[in-house]
Amino acid sequence: MEKDRELRILVGTRKGGYIVEGDSARKRWRVGPVAQEGSEVYHMVADPRHPGDLYALVNNTFWGPMIQRSRNWGKTWREAPTPMTPVKKKRQPNFDASKPWSPVNNLWHLEPGLPSEPSTLYLGADPHLLFRTADLGSTWEPINSINEHPDHPNWSPGAGGACLHTILIDPRDPRRMYVGMSSVGTFRSEDGGGTWKPKNRGVEAPFLPNKYPETGQCVHHVVADAADPDTFYRQDHGGMYVSHDRMDHWTRIGKPLGDDFGFCVTSSPTSPGKAYFVRLDGMARVTGEGHLQVEEWNDKTRKWRKLLAPTAFPGHFGVQREGIATDNLEPVGIYVGTTTGQLFTSPDAGKTWRLVPFAFPGIHSVSIANPTPR
Amino acid sequence: MHLDSWLREFGPRGRETTDADSLEHLLDELEERYPRLRFKLRDETGQLRRYVRVFVDSEDVSGTTGVATPLTGARSVEILHSIAGG
Repeated sequence: MEKDRELRILVGTRKGGYIVEGDSARKRWRVGPVAQEGSEVYHMVADPRHPGDLYALVNNTFWGPMIQRSRNWGKTWREAPTPMTPVKKKRQPNFDASKPWSPVNNLWHLEPGLPSEPSTLYLGADPHLLFRTADLGSTWEPINSINEHPDHPNWSPGAGGACLHTILIDPRDPRRMYVGMSSVGTFRSEDGGGTWKPKNRGVEAPFLPNKYPETGQCVHHVVADAADPDTFYRQDHGGMYVSHDRMDHWTRIGKPLGDDFGFCVTSSPTSPGKAYFVRLDGMARVTGEGHLQVEEWNDKTRKWRKLLAPTAFPGHFGVQREGIATDNLEPVGIYVGTTTGQLFTSPDAGKTWRLVPFAFPGIHSVSIANPTPR
Repeated sequence: MHLDSWLREFGPRGRETTDADSLEHLLDELEERYPRLRFKLRDETGQLRRYVRVFVDSEDVSGTTGVATPLTGARSVEILHSIAGG
């Protein structure tokens, strides 16, 4: 099979990044090359504009954060320049130069730009940092409207750190962007990252005295509906939400499920109007019902559907914010990675499920390198 | 100076000599010779990373004088990673 005709699952784990290669039926999987064995890989992603280009965000316990890039589907990797907090850059007037600046802690999410900007990448990091490159990562520029935002000193970290973990770009206009940050919430920019407005109206912050503040919500992950770029699905600390107006207003949808805590959410171009969540016990942070469950939200009928039988995979599974992904095939494939190293796959929109027969280290992220169209 | 074997991916593969008068200047010199070491031992604030340990004449200076440690008269500097993680 030609290399770019294969579907690959990219699995970021506590001990390296794994590439899992599938057959055309998406039923048999082969665990292939491992990137940065032994190091934390928070996110691994393919750049669909450049088939074969993969990125791994490595957060080495000892030597700090670094970006690794492969140009050959993971056969070989090289360290690429990693953005660091600028040391002597002139800062905005409100920046308090008497305070030490914060180094980049962990790298959380790399987002390829639109096809119309084939050399643009965005990078989200801790502490609440956003970077952009226009040359595929050879040089990075900080987006100081976020990194030196007047409120930045007041933004708190969540339990996973002060991570900027969600970056979304409107496919119709790259100047319209969205970011999500732990314990801060979601923001929208209409001018290519020049200015940002908080967009958390309607999202409850149950852990704050003011339950509906402008910012301070602990967003866990957000995805856009692939068929409707004005619609977003959000897994927040405070529940599951949908917005139909570019995040101007959010409506809670998870209450019928009971405890609608969780970390991850995904959607797919081949299942428009649907989003997939993994609900967790809000205290224990594992699947509280004692088995793996994926909840499908149908935004047209406004109904939930459970995709797994309770007997399919018993256990208390943890799933992190990038722990679920979908492919762009028909019917949609769904992939779930757990903090205990199981990788579950469904090639048929959740009708049937398999466990990839390989015990991975604890899984941080799952993403899909879709087959390149002919 | 002698670097941890784990660091040899980024830096020298054996012992090296230096005339640097402080740990900070030694690290500056190392990073100039081996650019891939930049930000591996120190973060952007110039401080040693949490799990980087530096011994000057067998004394651990990581948590005390740190990068300000004078090296005048010192015979050996060892740069190691501490045991951590799981």
